[in-house]
Amino acid sequence: MIRSVVPACHRFILLAFFFCSALSAHSQQALFSREIKFAQYLQDKELFREARYVTNRIDTTQLDRTQKDTLFYFSGWAAYNSKQLDTAVGKLLRVSPRFSLYNKSRFFAAYCLTYLARQPEAQQVLQGQQLGDSTEIEMRAFQLAGMALLRRDYNTFEQYQRGFTYGSYVLEKEEKNMAAYYKGLRSYKSKSPFLAGVYSAVLPGAGKFYAGKKRQGIAAFLPVISLAAVTYEAYRKGGVRSARFIGFGSLFSVFYIGNIWGSVLSVKVKEKEFYRAYDNKILFDLHIPLRNLYN
Amino acid sequence: MTCIFLCATCTIRAQSSALRQADSLFRQGAYFEASVGYERVLFEDNNPETALHAITQKIQCLKQQGLFTQAVNFIRTNLHENLPDSTGYRLYYEQTLCTYLAGNYENALSVVEQAKLLYPTRSEEPRLKLLQLLSLNELQRWEEAGHVYNAFVGRYGVADTALSPYKHLPHLKSKDKAQWLSTFIPGAGQIYAGKPLEALVTIGMQGAGIWFGIVSFQQHYYLAAWLAGAGLFGSFHMGGVRRSEVLVEQYNRKKITQFNEQVKSAVLKMMAERQ
Repeated sequence: MIRSVVPACHRFILLAFFFCSALSAHSQQALFSREIKFAQYLQDKELFREARYVTNRIDTTQLDRTQKDTLFYFSGWAAYNSKQLDTAVGKLLRVSPRFSLYNKSRFFAAYCLTYLARQPEAQQVLQGQQLGDSTEIEMRAFQLAGMALLRRDYNTFEQYQRGFTYGSYVLEKEEKNMAAYYKGLRSYKSKSPFLAGVYSAVLPGAGKFYAGKKRQGIAAFLPVISLAAVTYEAYRKGGVRSARFIGFGSLFSVFYIGNIWGSVLSVKVKEKEFYRAYDNKILFDLHIPLRNLYN
Repeated sequence: MTCIFLCATCTIRAQSSALRQADSLFRQGAYFEASVGYERVLFEDNNPETALHAITQKIQCLKQQGLFTQAVNFIRTNLHENLPDSTGYRLYYEQTLCTYLAGNYENALSVVEQAKLLYPTRSEEPRLKLLQLLSLNELQRWEEAGHVYNAFVGRYGVADTALSPYKHLPHLKSKDKAQWLSTFIPGAGQIYAGKPLEALVTIGMQGAGIWFGIVSFQQHYYLAAWLAGAGLFGSFHMGGVRRSEVLVEQYNRKKITQFNEQVKSAVLKMMAERQ
């Protein structure tokens, strides 16, 4: 009698245990699903900060791989939309290859890294991707080509440019733009700061004119030349020891040397401005096809 | 049946607990967290009363965080025709208030005007009129503001419009006048703008330029007289003219703010006393 009762009791406990486990797993699943739906709802309303807050509060210890992937993708996407690119990279790169939005996550993580000027990492992310779709393969070539342009690595750009078809509806316009940027950057002749300094030493303001800052050149020429004239007059009428000559001569020296130094710097400033303008255009054009393809 | 009953009970409990939690966060002053909580209620709850409470509270959260433009957008998305008139008006008033607080005074006025069509019986309510008055003040449309003010105080039985602050509008100064004065009399623009010390500094600097020019000329330093003396004088003179305009702008802004604050506090006091 006792023997037959014990196994029955065990069976009941075992059954109850399985039932509770199943119930707990189900409620965990339901809770996670509800939170993700809520985060999606917030994202749809463009409440990205709020969506991040919701996803950040989800406990990841009990989640299975798919749930974790979903969570990382959602958190990363919300961070990307609220311009928290560092966080976005961290989350998007944790999405596993089995997840349906893996490629999207990698591409956007790589873009964020490029934007953050962490190009070696971005390259690594893209190059490690296994892609099957021809548009995605072309997209990778396009992104890597853009990164090469940002590094001013024109040979690498040419290599990746061979992968441009100029026929894909997602990439056609931006590929043409990228080719134009390549030409623009290639044709840029960098100027010599030394020459700019020499020009300004000979003719005040000429160095800035040479650097491409014409207005600044004229603005620098007038005070230096006026001070030179006044100093010369003071020298001619009062001599080297006159207070006028010493005063105006000192002022002239400061302005003259300052102008030479300014001309040297203006070459670098102009070059930075030129490259920054191109960098902004490249980054913009790298972004557009990604949004077109994955939205 | 048991399962359905249990599920329904749990869901209702979860929903009301979400609302309770959001309310508690709001009371603690955690407005961002509370606003997420109210969004959750809106997401999960279909009960119109609960939803309305959540909407109203979320507006308060946004206001507390100073996110007035976001509050306006949020109200717009939740303000629909199916709402009962009183509820709709409540949200409409919040929309007007947030538009005013966001500094979009023209928009605030147009929202007040629309109230005449949308809520004809309530469009003359003091709170809306107050926002109209304050917006007109901010836009310096004082003549219209004066009419609104008279109608407003009339409702409170204050018929003596002689006491109206609009009888003594702030005397604003002209930028053009300051510019002309400074052009012909150095420092006069600054004095006109109410800054005599700055006028003295300007006169001193321009005088130094002229003095240096004259002395240099007398000593036959003609280049120095023109390039240094006249150059210094010209630079300080142009700077003085521009500065006088800036000073007049600052003066006017100060007067306008003072006047608007005076009207605002008077009207609010009146409303508080009569309620």
